[in-house]
Amino acid sequence: MRSRRPAWLWLFAKEWRELVASRSFWVMLVAIGPLVGVSFMSAVRTYAEVSGLGGTAAGVGEALSPLIGVWAPTFSACELAAVFLLPFVAIRLVGGDRQSGALKLELQHPMPAFGHVVAKASVLLVGWLAASIAPVVAIALWRSYGGTTFVPELATVASGHLLNAGLTIGLAAAAASMTEHPSTAAIVTLSVTVGTWIINFIAAVQGGIWERLANYTPTAMVAEFQHGLLRLDLVLISLALIATGLALSAVWMRIGIPVHRRSIESLVVAAVATVAIAGFTKAHASWDTSENRMNSFSEADEQALRKIHAPLRIEAHLAPEDPRRADLERRSLSKLRRVMPEVTVDYISSTSIGLFEQTREHYGEIWYELGGKKQMSRITTAEGVLESIYAIAGISPPAENDESIFRGHPLAAPPKGAGIVFYGIWPIVVVFSSFLMRRNI
Amino acid sequence: MEARSATAIAGCRLEIAHLFCFTFRIAPWPTQSVRWALDFVLGFWGGEKDVRDQVVRDLDIAPLLGSPIGTLSKGQRKRALLAIGLLMPQAILLADEPFDGLDLRQTRDIARVLRSHASAGRTLFLSIHQITDAARVCDRFVLLSGGRIRGEGTLDELSVLAAGRGASGSGADLEEVFLALT
Repeated sequence: MRSRRPAWLWLFAKEWRELVASRSFWVMLVAIGPLVGVSFMSAVRTYAEVSGLGGTAAGVGEALSPLIGVWAPTFSACELAAVFLLPFVAIRLVGGDRQSGALKLELQHPMPAFGHVVAKASVLLVGWLAASIAPVVAIALWRSYGGTTFVPELATVASGHLLNAGLTIGLAAAAASMTEHPSTAAIVTLSVTVGTWIINFIAAVQGGIWERLANYTPTAMVAEFQHGLLRLDLVLISLALIATGLALSAVWMRIGIPVHRRSIESLVVAAVATVAIAGFTKAHASWDTSENRMNSFSEADEQALRKIHAPLRIEAHLAPEDPRRADLERRSLSKLRRVMPEVTVDYISSTSIGLFEQTREHYGEIWYELGGKKQMSRITTAEGVLESIYAIAGISPPAENDESIFRGHPLAAPPKGAGIVFYGIWPIVVVFSSFLMRRNI
Repeated sequence: MEARSATAIAGCRLEIAHLFCFTFRIAPWPTQSVRWALDFVLGFWGGEKDVRDQVVRDLDIAPLLGSPIGTLSKGQRKRALLAIGLLMPQAILLADEPFDGLDLRQTRDIARVLRSHASAGRTLFLSIHQITDAARVCDRFVLLSGGRIRGEGTLDELSVLAAGRGASGSGADLEEVFLALT
């Protein structure tokens, strides 16, 4: 009599057992509790102080959003875990079968190598979801303090970190299959991660193509999600990168295939991925899920901007490291691109910091060109940018509506009990679960 | 070892879907128990569950079922791996050095199990360095030396071939035949 359970279910069960049996997985689970805990407690304490706890100025907290005040820093612990802990768990699961020789048996099954890799990646994602219980506990604690939560923005933040974990898994899987030893795979994975940080650094200094490239590094992607912004291009590109990593892993996982053939297959995978990613950069849809609409202009402004159909060209004479440029980009242009897809922005500067360009005649100027008309302004605030655009487009600014202004959710409560939960109960529960689950496998 | 490399053994074309290759130089799923490994093999590859108890009995691995594969001794692991191989549904098994590292008693026990499976209709390709071990279990031989086939056939056929090349000594001794042909 044969088993009725399909082969892929057996494979998933096997991968799950292998994950549960690995110490690295439990180490990650133990570590993520205190990591999330220290970030959460620090954020809640600061949030409480700004909200008036301990005699600080009451009323400041009226502009506070838990998304930026609490959840972005709390979930940042997940980013740390995804960079420094998850790769080792993934490499252990993907490279372990090669080390033990199990791969020589498993790959003789008719199931394609990609199926084996997908099974491993799926189980790793389930493992990551288990690790994500730590921020869920933080959310429960926040609610118990009387804090408010806005589900769409929380879901976006969590999705961003899930995608980031997927990227780590794809990268680690490819590295584990392409290298002979897990330690080499770990070095390769961390090197790629550090490489993305270097891209971010160069982008901040030099701008240009590096700045465009840096928009798609995991750090930049997570930052967008942490602001409650769900961008279709980022989601699609992340999924494409994850699929690329898994496909490369499948290509190099097979045993006995000549290296030149695997290299050619890898080039094909890379070419397909490049075309797909280039296509996905054209997807402009995005959704601002933050409660305080921090990625959007007011609804009235957005309606007014949507009436402008002519292409808008902006030429900003600001250096990459000039704080005004970051201000302009974050507070205005990123919001503008979401409403007006026909916006072209060119930054012009001779140096990276702009310090020695201040005395130049045109430095600091921001030129707007719409329908043959040109206008110059030096204001980088959202109000200033909108004012210039309305003026050049010849439309009246919409009336201000105080009702639509976000009033914030101040909460002057200390992180009571969080220390016991994250530094005491969490590790004990994880160690106990580890003991129980490993005993039963 | 890779299934593809076994597609042409001794001039025979083999269908990969019907062939399973295994080596004893591995310790697959080291943290998992032998019991789980046997169940996984049956479930994942779709082998016959009814064969499991027979294989466990034949190889005397019942006391090892609860032990993690990574903790087994070389001889124990070899028996567990052989059980895994024998539970595979493929009609043809290719095994690399099944007797390497075993004492005489263990070698005889495993040879007996392999013979019984061969008698039941399964084809076994065994890669063996020890000529006496090969003579103990195999019906047909492919003698390799220096990467080339030096002779192929039953012991009687190889003896005739060796005699044709002027070999002396016992015609039924595979070692002498091998020395004569290589």
